[in-house]
Amino acid sequence: MSSSKRSTIIVEHLRKQQMWDAISKGKRLDGRNLNETRPIEIEQDIIKKANGSAKVKLGNSEVVAGVKVETGEPFEGLENKGALILSAEVLPTASPYSEPGPPDEETVELARVVDRGIRESHMIDLDKLVLIPGKIVYTIFVDCSVINTDGNLFDATSYAVVSALVSSKLPIFEIQDGRVVDTGNSQDPPITTIPISITTVRIGDVVILDPTAEEEACMDARITIATNSNGQYTAIQKGSTGAFTVEQIKKAAEIARIKGEEIRTKLKELPKTG
Amino acid sequence: MSQAKNLIDESGRRTDGRTADELRQIKITVGVVKNADGSAFIEFGRNKIIAAVYGPREVHPKHMALPDRCILRCRYHMSPFSTDTRKNPAPSRREVEISKVMRESLEPALILEDYPRAAIDLFVEVLQADGGSRCAGITAASIALADAGINMRDIVSACAAGKIDNKIVLDINDTEDKEGGADMPVAYMPHLEQVTLLQLDGILTPEQFNECLDKAIGGCNVVYEIQRQALMQKYFGNETELKEVQ
Amino acid sequence: MQEIKRKYVVPGDKVIEGNFRPLMNVIKAGNSIIATRIGIAETGRDGVKVIPLSGVYIPRVSDIVIGKIIDHSSLSWEVDVNSCFSAHLPAQDVFGRDFSPARDDMGRQLAIGDLIAARIIAFDRTRDPMLTIQDKDLGKIPHGELLKISATRVPRLIGKRGSMIQTIEQATQTRILIGQNGIVVIMGRNLDGIKLATRAIRMVEEEAHTANLTQRVKALLNVPDSPQAEGSSIIQTPNNQKDEEIQSTIEEVEEEIEGEKI
Repeated sequence: MSSSKRSTIIVEHLRKQQMWDAISKGKRLDGRNLNETRPIEIEQDIIKKANGSAKVKLGNSEVVAGVKVETGEPFEGLENKGALILSAEVLPTASPYSEPGPPDEETVELARVVDRGIRESHMIDLDKLVLIPGKIVYTIFVDCSVINTDGNLFDATSYAVVSALVSSKLPIFEIQDGRVVDTGNSQDPPITTIPISITTVRIGDVVILDPTAEEEACMDARITIATNSNGQYTAIQKGSTGAFTVEQIKKAAEIARIKGEEIRTKLKELPKTG
Repeated sequence: MSQAKNLIDESGRRTDGRTADELRQIKITVGVVKNADGSAFIEFGRNKIIAAVYGPREVHPKHMALPDRCILRCRYHMSPFSTDTRKNPAPSRREVEISKVMRESLEPALILEDYPRAAIDLFVEVLQADGGSRCAGITAASIALADAGINMRDIVSACAAGKIDNKIVLDINDTEDKEGGADMPVAYMPHLEQVTLLQLDGILTPEQFNECLDKAIGGCNVVYEIQRQALMQKYFGNETELKEVQ
Repeated sequence: MQEIKRKYVVPGDKVIEGNFRPLMNVIKAGNSIIATRIGIAETGRDGVKVIPLSGVYIPRVSDIVIGKIIDHSSLSWEVDVNSCFSAHLPAQDVFGRDFSPARDDMGRQLAIGDLIAARIIAFDRTRDPMLTIQDKDLGKIPHGELLKISATRVPRLIGKRGSMIQTIEQATQTRILIGQNGIVVIMGRNLDGIKLATRAIRMVEEEAHTANLTQRVKALLNVPDSPQAEGSSIIQTPNNQKDEEIQSTIEEVEEEIEGEKI
């Protein structure tokens, strides 16, 4: 059951007023333009024990993603595909409001929205990760730990997952005498496209990109849109308790496509991107 | 008990090239989690661990507050990608136990009477584990607590010693832990010279026990110097000597 | 001039040996005085203390703080004062003794999100801090640039008898309200002045423990570093009168506390 709740962060009236004044003039409190993202820092391969990993800082939001590859049964109904399992935890280190315990509805939504962006775009060609159809396939676990939050965890987590996957090295398994054996060799993951998630929020009549925690506390509505390398839309999630006009949604979609390509280019320039 | 494996070769070198008394490389960065009141990141060999402190802060639920002192709550948790095989994110019994002994290793150092009706929350997250993660976690937690400005009687430093190939060595790594004969993690307050954590897995003769404990304490003292250096660096930069303050 | 010995310490460090009086953030252990916080240890005629460089704000009676209204019950407002406890502002403080929840609308006086300058009138080990806004110069802060600094740096930001903060105010044509809890509000008409004041405050926060800080702040503000420095005329903001008095109130409180400690 999901229920309405009071906003965790109460933004001072002073700040809200300044935010509205600034936004009406095309600027934000941290000096950014309406369509500007915060600086993005990406470090890949930081967890050597994982098959792939990345740490992303989007402004002060910080997420670590790790990829572990094993073998297991395929999902029901998807007997000829490898399995991809994505989960996320907002660590209790992340903010004064994060509590340890099973994931709450916001964390579950975070994991599922990020997963959708990766899965629906077919970023990993799961057809290539089957050992015995219907019985044994590669299982790719992607786990995300949010270390510090300052808004827009959807994009920060998504970039961490994408950066970890593109730089990962998958083991090469074989079937010998009916059993799975790790050959000890490794392969690049079968990547078909680079999905990029872009989150925008509406404050009053203005749509802004990559909100900070303070801006999220003042937002009326939020939308997260993922595009693939061909500029096609593959996953969308509208969030928060307000509404969008159709015009605003179309504008947000356009921003997502254009900004998505900018960030995709940046990711491709990373040294460890396959 | 595993077969006798050569964990130390003839020239006294271990699987990672260290001698019996050598600590793995340690690097500590203070103040890495922006939202926390205090935090530290430690790389201890291949261990990578974050410790973050929120506190003193209000207790929720209120009935858990104590009238005359602060409560300390501690969570030790491993990220699923931190170990050789992927770990389920739900807390395991091992994590529950380590959370408890970690809290008990740090409480003696904190002056909790200074903060009645409040709570200090400590979160230790292991991003990569390679043997001795609880000691590395305690070492980082101690720095995070000091960074948060909590009143402390002393810093807590932690280090493990163990037995491999029937020899007592300092700071055992993951392989040595799995294949070796004993593992003894120790936490220690260096100025007060008191032990706040002591555990043992394995078999030690009385002589080996004494040697192991002494070696671990020696390791704790080395760890302390690195902790102190990291704090001084963060707060005072390169000035270790105080010049005239206006 | 009293001889004061100073040094940088972390918890557990021995400050000094001998029969000295432990004053603040130190404990006696055997024949030594040990630091319990990171900071600057000072040993003087009257005892040993450590001026801390980190730590959450712990409320003290008489402190002026800047807080944010976060909730209200029928009898009081709950105020976030950037500390380990929420503070309470009783409705009677604003409405008077004959306050009636049926007649007096609390939300109209002070709404969630409003900022107030208040004084702590009660706080002890058994209850949350209680506030008043009834003194002159206290009350709702309607506008200004909001800044949060570590509460441990507030004395340095104020300076001896307000010297540091006045230097910044005069050079940037702003009025600056400082709460002991580390919340700062900068008021002024000149946007560039506000930006410069913000930079100066951040510099003081980061370098509070260093020598020659005043010189470097003056250099940042383009103020000549001489005792007869002319301040620019103080801008007449609507709250000018209030702010001067809050400023001097803060200084008086500071001196009272200094007096108590020594």
